[in-house]
Amino acid sequence: MGRDIDIEVRHLTRVEGHGNIYLNARSGKVEKVLWEVDEAPRFFEAMVRGKSYHQLSHITSRICGICSISHSLASLKATEAAMGVEISKQTELLRRLALYGENLQSHTLHVGYLVAPDLLGAGSVIPLVKTAKEAVVKIVGLHRTANMLSEAICGRATHPITLEVGGFTEIPTERALLGMREELENAKGVCTDVAGVVLAHADRLPDFTRETEFIALTNDENYAFYDGDLGSTDGGRWPVEEYLSITNEYVVPHSTAKYTRHNRESYMVGALARFNLNHAMLSKEAMEVAGMFGLKPVCHNPFMNNVAQLVEIMDSLVDSIGIIDELLDRGLEEESGEIEVRAGRGVGAVHAPRGLLIHDYTIDGLGNCTKANCIIPTNQNHANIQKDMEELAPAIIDKPAKEIELTLEMLVRAYDPCISCSTHYIDVNFR
Amino acid sequence: MRAILAHSGVHAQSRKFDISMSGLIVGDHDGTRTLHSSGTWSHAVVRVLSGMKERMGTVQHDEQGGIRIQAMSKREWLNFVDRLIKENEGEVIGVRARGSRFQYAPLESAEELRLDYDVTILPPKKYLLPTHEDLMTFDISKPFEVLANIDEGKRILLGVHPYDVLAIQQMDEIYLGTHRDEHYDARRKNTIIIASDILNVSERSFAGSLGTHVVETGFDLLVTDLGDTVAVTIGSEEGKRLLDTHSETREATLEEKKHVKRLRKELPSRYARKLKVDKYMWQKLLEENYDHPIWEENSKKCLQCGSCTLVCPTCFCYDVDDVMSLNLKEGRRVRTWDGCLLRDFTRVAGGEIFRENIKDRYRHRYYRKGLYLPMRNGFVACVGCGRCATQCLPDIADPCEIMNTLASFSMHEKVNFPIPDVKVAGVEEGLLIPEPATILRKERQTDMETLYEIRPDSGRRLEYRPGQFVEVSIFGVGEAPISIASSPGRDTFELLVRRIGHVTTKLDTMKVGEKIGIRGPFGNGFDVSGIAGRDILFISGGCGLAPTRSLIEYVLENRGDFGKVTILYGCKEPGAVLFGNDLQEWSRKNDVLVKKTVDQCGEGECWDGEVGLITTLIPPLDFDPERTISIVVGPPVMYKFVISELKKKEVPDENIVVSLERRMKCGVGKCGHCQMNGIYVCLEGPVFRYTDVKDMPEAF
Amino acid sequence: MKPRVAFFDFASCEGCQLQVINLEEKILDLIDVVEVVSFREAMKESSDDYDIAFVEGSIMRPMDEERLKRIRKNARILVALGACACIGGVNRLRNEWSVDEVKKEVYDEADIEGNRLFDVFPTKAVDEVVDVDFRIPGCPINREEFAKVVAHLAIGKEPRLPSYPVCVECKKNENICVFELGKFCLGPVTRAGCNAICPTHGDGCEGCRGYLDDPRMEAAKDVLRKYGVSFDEMMKRFNMFNYRKGAI
Repeated sequence: MGRDIDIEVRHLTRVEGHGNIYLNARSGKVEKVLWEVDEAPRFFEAMVRGKSYHQLSHITSRICGICSISHSLASLKATEAAMGVEISKQTELLRRLALYGENLQSHTLHVGYLVAPDLLGAGSVIPLVKTAKEAVVKIVGLHRTANMLSEAICGRATHPITLEVGGFTEIPTERALLGMREELENAKGVCTDVAGVVLAHADRLPDFTRETEFIALTNDENYAFYDGDLGSTDGGRWPVEEYLSITNEYVVPHSTAKYTRHNRESYMVGALARFNLNHAMLSKEAMEVAGMFGLKPVCHNPFMNNVAQLVEIMDSLVDSIGIIDELLDRGLEEESGEIEVRAGRGVGAVHAPRGLLIHDYTIDGLGNCTKANCIIPTNQNHANIQKDMEELAPAIIDKPAKEIELTLEMLVRAYDPCISCSTHYIDVNFR
Repeated sequence: MRAILAHSGVHAQSRKFDISMSGLIVGDHDGTRTLHSSGTWSHAVVRVLSGMKERMGTVQHDEQGGIRIQAMSKREWLNFVDRLIKENEGEVIGVRARGSRFQYAPLESAEELRLDYDVTILPPKKYLLPTHEDLMTFDISKPFEVLANIDEGKRILLGVHPYDVLAIQQMDEIYLGTHRDEHYDARRKNTIIIASDILNVSERSFAGSLGTHVVETGFDLLVTDLGDTVAVTIGSEEGKRLLDTHSETREATLEEKKHVKRLRKELPSRYARKLKVDKYMWQKLLEENYDHPIWEENSKKCLQCGSCTLVCPTCFCYDVDDVMSLNLKEGRRVRTWDGCLLRDFTRVAGGEIFRENIKDRYRHRYYRKGLYLPMRNGFVACVGCGRCATQCLPDIADPCEIMNTLASFSMHEKVNFPIPDVKVAGVEEGLLIPEPATILRKERQTDMETLYEIRPDSGRRLEYRPGQFVEVSIFGVGEAPISIASSPGRDTFELLVRRIGHVTTKLDTMKVGEKIGIRGPFGNGFDVSGIAGRDILFISGGCGLAPTRSLIEYVLENRGDFGKVTILYGCKEPGAVLFGNDLQEWSRKNDVLVKKTVDQCGEGECWDGEVGLITTLIPPLDFDPERTISIVVGPPVMYKFVISELKKKEVPDENIVVSLERRMKCGVGKCGHCQMNGIYVCLEGPVFRYTDVKDMPEAF
Repeated sequence: MKPRVAFFDFASCEGCQLQVINLEEKILDLIDVVEVVSFREAMKESSDDYDIAFVEGSIMRPMDEERLKRIRKNARILVALGACACIGGVNRLRNEWSVDEVKKEVYDEADIEGNRLFDVFPTKAVDEVVDVDFRIPGCPINREEFAKVVAHLAIGKEPRLPSYPVCVECKKNENICVFELGKFCLGPVTRAGCNAICPTHGDGCEGCRGYLDDPRMEAAKDVLRKYGVSFDEMMKRFNMFNYRKGAI
């Protein structure tokens, strides 16, 4: 064919934050394909210096509106590790619920509001209100349920209020948990319905596979959202304190971006990584959703990250119900304890909806932060997105330019990038 | 919830509130109010305390004439409460723990009830006048399908302390005494009060010094937790029915009766906070200490957070605003608690804040509680619960401490705050629901002002006096008080509206034929018969010509009843002149002298009047100061200067009449926003004899 | 005609736009009464023809300033959305240090010289660059308040923020004052409108909605001293969302 193609997608839509896609092909040969991030840097690590231990989670939660609960929890875990603060079983269970609330919200937003329009051939969810109202209403309902869960535990869905060092400023009532349990039970059916809508259009997800490494938290008890060691599909398991040897941040010579790599030149984190590593811990209902799409570990198709998110929606619903039952069984108790200020360094890792999130703080004897480092899921994925693009672009270069553009957009969207997060301190520039 | 169609004009039930209120009223109670000059009120309070018995019906007596007290075991008491919860007698609201404090909340079981509480964070008032309440809902796509939300759900308030029982009686007087508030009324009638004697005294309460630690009436049942048994005093037939239906009681033993008596008798001694001055002295202390340094000193520490008013069981001020739903169809008119400590409490649409100084707001609360309301209603609007003192972070809100300070260091510079004796005319029922009316004509007067001719859709003729005002409603936007600008006696009326706030800006966009809501007329107008036979000098500035025009037209229509008529009018510039045609027409008359002036006139502007402030029109004027009544209406800044010029002409005070602007929100003396010292401008004003207000510190 | 509405974001977490999505079922009403022409976080289409621009985020770079000025030119009404846009919010915390210093802390030895993406100046609120017609403060915004402002704009009623402090809403919620719980609270000087959400959930107000027009700072500091809050602690708390906004 030998066409010349120039694609420039400025400020890719339906993603969190500002990113650009560039593709130049000459005579049917891809010369340049780039994923560029154009978000203002915000310097959070610099900001938290000198701030009190009890402020850190409130400040770093503001790194990202969509995954503010994950940031709060990673921050609290790092702070607690640094100061040697123990938390109760009840606190751990409630925190896991909070994480699930956020995961449900974020995944529903992504699959339902951001990806579904691609599958149903629309520019956004707005025209779908007319053409596919029933599906939209279900998605909105699921999204509301998710936010209700976050609000019940955190006081607010975005920028949680009740999460604090050592525990909670307020715990939900048993009545509230019972009400929430009923909501979640109902949501399981809605989740299956939404999965059905996606399945009906799943043929639009490109069949593209590129072998890569997947990294996620992993443990022997559960799906490891809140806690675990670092694990890799290439084998190996390391305590989170050794994260630096896994994430290996490095600076690309021709740009300012910090990349991460482990065994290969890039790795992927997120729903697909968790599924690939922790599928054995999934509930029966979640595995049924995976079965609907034929999703099996280890899957190397990044577009299947959308499906992995659907699987996780179901699993988060099921596991949340289990946690609520356990909490009700134990009986909820107001807890209070004095926090003792102690100097030290601590690493806290949780799974944000988009993958592995790590905060690392050094705290002095007055309880003030002296040094901070945050490893963001989307940062870890930027290199993998770029590598995927480099392999995907030549394979589809003979298609119409519009389709190439859409496919590249869909690829980036499949990663559910959270660019505000990833630029909490840095800009990625591939040029 | 009960729905009422506003346009039907008929409320679902026409009920007469049959509870005798006489115990709370000062002086005669024939629907009018008498002037409560400062000398008479302490006598009134004595009447309040002795006259409350009829409030809830009759307390049951035994054969010997003593109050009948029943008793039951603690277990039976708990069973009784559980039965109330289960037996569909209404929502049972009791005192429950909230962390280390207490609150009124629905009870799920008797175990949750905490009769050993000291004080609740908010008073039980919140179940009679909720913090937020939808007064009505509407659909602006269907004009005037307005539904009044009347909450007729049955409730039992359980564990109400005596001071709160008394506070509810005060609320009853405010909301039901005159201008009955239908929303409050419905809740109140459906609320059963089971009071409780105080077991634990709140740290900041001084109820013992006020005598509000015990109560003899105002409840349906009064329980006294004696440890193993519970004594119950029956306060009403309804209380007796509840007790008979849901519990087994016996007559209290002599020992139990003595125990109850002893408990109540010993209670005052258990209060750490004590008033050093009798509460009958509060009014005198406040009259003598308007400029006491404590107001300035304390107000410096004041956060202006309004907490003291928000937790108060006797505070009753409210704000009303319209909230539209996002679909732009349904809306709600919402009433919320407001407080006089908040800066914008007195703010009018034009931006003026009448109590801008923090010291004035800080002081106002004490004067309202200790002086103005006692003068109006005959009771000190404080029951000594101590909630304000507990909640005030800088700790400057304690009436007990303030009164003790004033008592020990008094200024003795007496200021009088008489409340004019005005017979309040106008509506008594259906106060909050506007009636529909249609815009018949719009006549633009200036860039900012437009004259509207309005006719109520019911066809009723608005009966008003010149100087009165109506509340104009635009659903979804809100309400604004507007003076009537036309002469009475016609089927339509005119409003001059300056485009300055939410409502007036929206009104400006509306067309002839569109509908607005009207409430009123409200307030005190000009005393047309009182000024008959006199020479009349009208002095109007700016928008002040609107209410004045109503009277001018009336005077000219009844020209024979009046002597010389002179009209002085001043405004900013030629382009701002209102009623230009009327001014011209009036000046053409042989028996009317019209003088007009503008503050400034640009070069080349067409202007046939004077240039200079309105005050410059007065000195050259030839009139008989004894025969002439001066009607002064204008912007706040105008009064002082105009009146000073009139005084130079030796006009006696009693010949001057003014009309004052304030934030008149409810129109019926409840919301509190228009208050000027002890006066409600929406009731006693906006028209005042100068003699009635000249010494009011907050008037000019 | 339905007002045309556009959403834009600058340096922020985009959490305020998320609150618009979090209106859940009410979004269906929203898109019924206004025409959303740009909302990058949720839709592909975009347009420069709009009446009302909602702007989230702080202004950090000359390139942001240029973009914001273009938005101002296009919009009839510009509404600042959230703490970052209204007052600078947490983004302003970095103004404690020089731009060079924070770059060094974060990027260390990396070569970012001359890259326009890194051409940052001290954080600014939106109204430090262009005129702002209305504000919806908070971190994040209160979605009920957002809905109210949109409804007001659509029916032609000027949106007005509460002029009273958070304490008013806190009292109406019958909360135990967080000072009693030994916590720090900026409620007395902070503009209400959040329904006192933080104190209602047992945490002190952080001042994310900005101070009142006439905050009683000295009185508030007296209270904090009375409750034993040190100067250092006070400074950190006051600065969190209102960095050096006249408080200390």
